[in-house]
Amino acid sequence: METPGYVALSRQAALRRELDVISNNIANMDTPGYRGESMLFVEYLANTKDKVPAGLRKISYVQDIATVRDLSEGAKTATDNPLDLAISGDGFFAVESENGERYTRNGAFMLDADGQIVTTSGLPLLNEAGQPMVVPDTAGRIDVARDGTVSYHEQAGGDAVQVGRIRLVQFENEYALKKDADVLFRADDQAALPADGSEILQGFIEKSNVKGVVEMTKLIQTVNSYQSAGKMVESEHERQRRAIQTLAGRSA
Amino acid sequence: MRSLSIGATGMLAQQMNVEVISNNIANMNTTGYKRGRTEFHDLLYQDLRRVGSASSDAGTIVPSGVQVGLGVKAAAVYRITEQGNITITDNTFDIAVNGKGYFQVELPSGDTGYSRAGSFQLSPDGDLVTPDGYLVQPGITIPLDASGVTINASGEVWVDIQGQVAPTNVGQLELATFANEAGLEAIGDNLFLETVASGAANVAAPGTEGYGTILQGALETSNVNVVQEITNLITAQRAYEMNSKVIQASDEMMRSVTQMR
Repeated sequence: METPGYVALSRQAALRRELDVISNNIANMDTPGYRGESMLFVEYLANTKDKVPAGLRKISYVQDIATVRDLSEGAKTATDNPLDLAISGDGFFAVESENGERYTRNGAFMLDADGQIVTTSGLPLLNEAGQPMVVPDTAGRIDVARDGTVSYHEQAGGDAVQVGRIRLVQFENEYALKKDADVLFRADDQAALPADGSEILQGFIEKSNVKGVVEMTKLIQTVNSYQSAGKMVESEHERQRRAIQTLAGRSA
Repeated sequence: MRSLSIGATGMLAQQMNVEVISNNIANMNTTGYKRGRTEFHDLLYQDLRRVGSASSDAGTIVPSGVQVGLGVKAAAVYRITEQGNITITDNTFDIAVNGKGYFQVELPSGDTGYSRAGSFQLSPDGDLVTPDGYLVQPGITIPLDASGVTINASGEVWVDIQGQVAPTNVGQLELATFANEAGLEAIGDNLFLETVASGAANVAAPGTEGYGTILQGALETSNVNVVQEITNLITAQRAYEMNSKVIQASDEMMRSVTQMR
């Protein structure tokens, strides 16, 4: 029956990792397109060989089994920048990275030296045909329609010229997407399906969906739980010490 | 302890954010200034429990593993090259570009600098120069006996000379555009330099396809929106505080460990 220490330890180890997740959320509070995460805990039951009634023969430890992503939409802020795009509804932008296609909700795009529409880390945004979109340098203002059609006007007037339509994709199981650095998601084996019904807002950016107040509350809770688990270890230590003293005193 | 350094990355990123915002606010009244914006990205992720790994012999898999992120970084400070407001100054040599394009300026080093600030003056020789005395390219010389100067929308410079009925054309202003304006390198004094990221300069007369037009007697103000900047400043300050709380919380957790026996 020397398990209380280990039960508390399992709690403390899990809480330390939860604090890591919370800190990452807070650190990325201003990262556009970032999706907050929270730790999912489960009870881990273990058998003991103690001679106690059957119902008490299980000891429950705690295990952090998964990080669960918050899939809610982040707030949209107007930026007046024509290449800031936000998705209203489900879906991701598809961008081409060196290691294959990646998906992102971070709509801060810009033009690179070749006139391609790229993310701030330089990855080209893909159109429906899976090709980068190129805007010639004679273009005046670039327009992105709600359905994702990108067009531009020559500066001196004239008709709008279409460049292509932005490909929006969604996934059957968004929770299974893996996070890469630079606010990118990786699909691995999942097929990217067209995200119908979602719209693109030009001149807006989707902030991260992290709610500062909620994270601060979780932060405080985590610290308090960690400390109370620590108290438990201490009182268990005290109990054992007294037991030894008492028993040693009697036998002497 | 990971959360300590994660909190530190958050504080560093927010500090840079505040620096960019303060520079925007400081340049609120700078002619032709383009505001900057800090762009954040998340850092690498560590897989503590891999997504999709088997959780039993029966082949059940973990639907979403434990991925712990390692914080945030400031990925880019990029310039938003939106047109600023135009203010009428009625000053002959104040010139604003309405649309795309930069004035070309010859720097003392011989390089060409690019600028949106059209507050020009005349040198003792009658050359059109920037407030720092750098020559505007292609060079335009106003005759000393000129009584009036008119610059039209397409950048032609006409002067009235006493005794002559028709105005005389003394030169043509040109504008430079870039594929990626945000890739220009700012060197201060309202000047930019061409870089690999911006692409090469394409030079043409104002008003031609893809180029802005010239407005005489006006200046382009900065495109800083003060209300937005102040809001961003408040948000950044709060975010900084929250990250410092993360560090405090990590510290408290560590302290409770050291006090245990």
